[in-house]
Amino acid sequence: MRLIGYLRILFLSMLPAALLAQNKDAENYRKASEEVRKQVWAWDKPQFKVKDIPAQYANASKVIIARHTELSAESKSKFAFYVITFAIKKEQTISEVSREMVKLNDKTAIDEYSEISFTQLINKSGFFAKDKLTTYVGVKVIKPNGTVKEINADDIVLTKDETREKRAKLAIPDLQPGDILDYFVATEQTVTNDFSTSTYDIALFDDAPVLSRSFHGQLGKKYSIEYRSYNKAPELKVEKNDSKDIIIDVEKKNMAPFETSLWVHPARQLPFIRMHIALGYKGMGSRFMGTKKPGEVLPNNDPDEYIEARANKLSENYFYGYWMKEAKKEYEEIEKEAKKKAKQMGTTFKDLSDVEKAALLYYTLRFSKLINFEIDALSKTIGVGDNYYNGLAFPVFATLKAAGLDPAILVSAYRSGVKITELMDQSDLMTTTYLTNGGQFFAIQSVFDTPFSIPEEIEGMTGNKSFTFDNPKLMIASTKKIEKLTNIEAGPNVPVTEAGSNAHIENLKLSITADKSKMEVKRRTVVKGHFKADLQRKLITYEDLYESERNSFKEEKSLIEDLQDGRKSKKYVDEVVNAFAEARKKQKEASLKEIKDEFDQEISDFSNYKTENMGIRHTAPDLVYSSTFNMAGLIRKAGNNLIVEIGKIQGTPIKVKQEQRNRDIDVYMPYARSIEYNIELQVPDGYTAEGVEALNKKVANETGFFTVDAVSSGKTVSLKVKKHYLHGFEPAGNWSKLLEFIDAANEWLNAKLLLRKS
Amino acid sequence: MKFPLISLLAFSLPLFSAGQTEKEDSKNIVLSNVSRTFRFVKGNKEHPVQVNEESRRTYYCNSYRSDVQVVEFYNDNETIDDLGITVNGSKKHGITPKYEYYSSSGIFYSDAHVCYFNLPLAKQGSSSEVTFRKTYLDPRYFSTIYFSDQQPIQQQEISIVVPSWMSLDIKEFNLSKYKITKNVSDGKGDEKVYTFTMNNLPAMPDESQSPGFSYYAPHIMVLCRQAQPADEKYTYFTSVKEQYKWYKGLVDQVGNDVNVIREKTEEITKGLGSDEAKVKAVFQWVQDNIRYIAFENGIAGFKPEKGQVVLSKKYGDCKGMANLLTEMLKSIKLDARRCWIGTKHIAYDYSTPSLAVDNHMICAWMYKGKPVFLDGTEKYIGYGEVAERIQGRPVLIENGNDYILAKVPEATHLQNTATETRKLTIDGNDLKGHVTQTWKGESKEWFLSELNDVKKNKQEDALKDFLSGGKPNFQISNLKVGNISDYNADLNVEYDVNWKDALSVFGKETYADVDNRHNWENTKIDTAKRKLALWFPFKADKIFDTEINLPADRTVTTLPQKVTIKQKGYGYTAGYSSVPGKLLYRTEVIIDQTEVKPEDFSQWNRDNESLTKFYNEQIVITHKN
Repeated sequence: MRLIGYLRILFLSMLPAALLAQNKDAENYRKASEEVRKQVWAWDKPQFKVKDIPAQYANASKVIIARHTELSAESKSKFAFYVITFAIKKEQTISEVSREMVKLNDKTAIDEYSEISFTQLINKSGFFAKDKLTTYVGVKVIKPNGTVKEINADDIVLTKDETREKRAKLAIPDLQPGDILDYFVATEQTVTNDFSTSTYDIALFDDAPVLSRSFHGQLGKKYSIEYRSYNKAPELKVEKNDSKDIIIDVEKKNMAPFETSLWVHPARQLPFIRMHIALGYKGMGSRFMGTKKPGEVLPNNDPDEYIEARANKLSENYFYGYWMKEAKKEYEEIEKEAKKKAKQMGTTFKDLSDVEKAALLYYTLRFSKLINFEIDALSKTIGVGDNYYNGLAFPVFATLKAAGLDPAILVSAYRSGVKITELMDQSDLMTTTYLTNGGQFFAIQSVFDTPFSIPEEIEGMTGNKSFTFDNPKLMIASTKKIEKLTNIEAGPNVPVTEAGSNAHIENLKLSITADKSKMEVKRRTVVKGHFKADLQRKLITYEDLYESERNSFKEEKSLIEDLQDGRKSKKYVDEVVNAFAEARKKQKEASLKEIKDEFDQEISDFSNYKTENMGIRHTAPDLVYSSTFNMAGLIRKAGNNLIVEIGKIQGTPIKVKQEQRNRDIDVYMPYARSIEYNIELQVPDGYTAEGVEALNKKVANETGFFTVDAVSSGKTVSLKVKKHYLHGFEPAGNWSKLLEFIDAANEWLNAKLLLRKS
Repeated sequence: MKFPLISLLAFSLPLFSAGQTEKEDSKNIVLSNVSRTFRFVKGNKEHPVQVNEESRRTYYCNSYRSDVQVVEFYNDNETIDDLGITVNGSKKHGITPKYEYYSSSGIFYSDAHVCYFNLPLAKQGSSSEVTFRKTYLDPRYFSTIYFSDQQPIQQQEISIVVPSWMSLDIKEFNLSKYKITKNVSDGKGDEKVYTFTMNNLPAMPDESQSPGFSYYAPHIMVLCRQAQPADEKYTYFTSVKEQYKWYKGLVDQVGNDVNVIREKTEEITKGLGSDEAKVKAVFQWVQDNIRYIAFENGIAGFKPEKGQVVLSKKYGDCKGMANLLTEMLKSIKLDARRCWIGTKHIAYDYSTPSLAVDNHMICAWMYKGKPVFLDGTEKYIGYGEVAERIQGRPVLIENGNDYILAKVPEATHLQNTATETRKLTIDGNDLKGHVTQTWKGESKEWFLSELNDVKKNKQEDALKDFLSGGKPNFQISNLKVGNISDYNADLNVEYDVNWKDALSVFGKETYADVDNRHNWENTKIDTAKRKLALWFPFKADKIFDTEINLPADRTVTTLPQKVTIKQKGYGYTAGYSSVPGKLLYRTEVIIDQTEVKPEDFSQWNRDNESLTKFYNEQIVITHKN
């Protein structure tokens, strides 16, 4: 009997056991485990008979000899009494066995495989259905002399032992370097009326060598499957047998280990196969459910289908979230508020250009909906800077639309995700609002974002779609018509930002402390573009953000004054003041930590911290902050003279490890970017600077550059240190060019200057 | 034996971690009032003597509304019977406490469970209250009551109600510092009530590399002696003898299969002549082949697993390893004993017989009348070497129906010497030559444990990265790693180095910092934040020796002044010397006590500053012409 069939029968026969005593359950489980193990170990698959490891992998920490997944899904209809009527319910049984045979060569591999944790049982009993998931494991250790030891169930310990849920752990006994571990995890699941789609990804890469990776699936004729192979992964072989079951197979042999983890986007670069498997259904309501026809096999499905599905979804959002009078009112309120704020700011909303209106609406939306103060959610309010948003495309779109502007929603792939021509899921798509007449983007991913910024996730995306919505003139809104409110058109290409737009610039005035042991630093940091978000989250308090926006809107009263004036709110003013004071203390600690992280040296006498500009408005987009402190680690005494290890001002620049230096895949960096240090070193009285000329450096090529321009003038040595990555993406062929200037920056860490005592 | 892995985890830390963690300022939410009553009661047949705990904790919001996480542990011997929550006077709070298995790093399986939930404090000036009713099923496991909590406590009263049929002693720890008062009064009937009252108890500090709680936290140890709730009398630990008897009883129930154990032992020791050679071989076999996996569920927390089972499974906890080692050595007619020991993490000794006294098991081989201690959980330590965490600790050695109470000997810093020796020549701006590095004792153990945590095929790159300090201009070639498999010998590596641009040339002068290790530089203690003593994982002795051949046309014109510091517990020497044609450099940092007390922090910082200042000075070599 095939294992999958056996699992189903076994599982069905076990259902009444749920009603029996717990020890009976345990006994049944033990028996079932034994049977499952017998079946899996009996697999006649040659890849699990291999014991010899190719010589080139003799030194590998581990070698995956074989990894196989066996999937089976079957369904049947049952008549069920649902309170007041009879209906058909669909019961599915899904079985999955994942077996791996791995040669373990060292302690790290032993540590990785020495324990298995799994959920042995989940029982969900509802009124309509009894859904259940049971997991079985089997483990064999094959010693170098060929002897095989099978692990018995007594070694399993339960970490949760309840009727509805059992979680278990297993420590693998007698496992030593040189052993081969052959193990499997089998799950058997019954679900009722579940038409959702299950996603199976078969990764055809690993950081260990894999001699064989295979997958076999058998889906009952009522299932549907969509699939696609990515990045030169082999094609799935999908056929139907005489019973019209869908049979799926794929195998890849001899996969070399994938070594580098630096600047890789797996979805764009590494081979894998995606499958969507679901119970097919075409009938009443199936359009809502997005189900496929039973038996449908869809290789490389048309990506436009997913675009259309997103359009339909957004149409619904539009209809219920905007077109309906009550829903639209909320956005109209934002416009009203923006008009009020424009007046406060000494201007008239209607006199603004569309772009200016859009920006004001964006800020009003942020002020009134995201950073508005809520006493009942004080911690959440103060922590609003930590929130990540998905761009808030629809609310931004609706806000602009309600004010009579002409926005659209751009639908694109993610830069780190699959290409738009290879879509398989809604989650592959990102939506961003833009103005059709100017192309400006409006995304909110954090409360510190500014209008017109391009989210880094979609930089350079092409083949995009653009959604606009016409006001429906419908007396009766039929579902079909609601879905079709969208116009799908070609969207604009998303530009890429330049290195200068994403910049971290340190302006440092350096002098030497009186005892000649430390560098006295006056720091002013300017951060631009994509570099800002992380620092803003760390360094800007809610209070500062709120008050800055309030000032921009020329609101008369501060938040605290506002609270003091409220009949109800005045009683919690003290509380808010206390919470803000606590947040300010944390900000100071975060600021000091940021300095330590940046320069990687001992910092003392930290003072005068100031956020000069928060970078939260497009009119003043840079984050600018300053402070003074003393930094150890840069000054060495040499007799009467001083050596300044000025190269160390870079902190710890990125270094490419030995194992990452050979590369044959393209380089997906986050974005083009620049790091600069503008240094003015004050030479102390009684000293003269030597070696300034030798500090100059220039390594430049088409991928970027590292340059140092050093000049001495009077008592000041000035240095301009620049490291620019000109592109976010480089083809593999340019890797050595990137290394040239990355290495140059590391070599310059050793740069020194002599201050000679006169 | 519930064996906390704190000491083992310390090995993954560098010898000095600057990580003086800042405790979150917890003055916003405080415990304004706490009352806990522990009452000894008559139980049932299975658990004839039980302890009921009723606690009431009132949390108060001082500054601004927020949440506090409430956590209560329980296990097979400790049940939560009832929980009450009140938020701002209301029982309608919508809180659903979670009851879960408590997974602790390094422990594979235990019976520890946790009940937890977030308790809101509705507004400034409001209170929320939590009450628990718990039962301790066996007085043997009811050993300590800690007075501190995660929040500061303004007022607390802890009572222990002891009926006349229960005999116990209470031992106080760290109470005087907190002005905790004790009162003994008569309760209902024949009860005696011990009451501890305290005000303004600070929150439990949380600082890395600090002593165990029992050293500084106010608490009491409850030493249950005997009970006679009805006709039958139950004896707990009236003396260390009783405790040993209980442990021995558990050991006697183990059921080791001597034949199976002997077969393996004879295979390991085949051809070895001396007893010492056999012990070394067996000890290293256990280190290499038995994985440490901790089980702490119920009695399995105290009773060792059968030797043959550990042998077959190739994993076990400290008890399993100690029992296996003992049985293996005994099987070849060597006098081996199981030993119970409290690691340095615990402040107690066997003068207070209790299950809280020890947390570890090791083996002792009685050699020439003296014990040689063998700890199978110390993966890479050599025979005769002893880990810091058990050095100087009282140890209960099995001795038939009796026991031997001894102390594990203390090793000096010389057990752990790490030496680096360089012989270099000047080549342009580079220094080139040969380097030899050696690690002993716990330095070796730390090094091997780090190295073996790296994948085999990446070890050489990782090792080069470590040896070069991650600096690309310290180029290593011809790397040879000697002896990484015999823990009874020193670990050594040697390699050629081309240290590019190590010298800075300005005119006729060459400047150099010949030391890129700067051992123990910048290890200042943040006195504003750190309140507890600082503990190092082991004693240290780091020696760095460099000899540079000078070209004939150059001479050393400036040498930094030597530094010599000798304090109780540590010392530094660092200096240069010049002989014709050579420049010699040597530093040695000795840490011969692993604790720096808070009162010594300032001196430590001053001394460390001197060392750092020395490191910051460079030598000057001048062309003679």
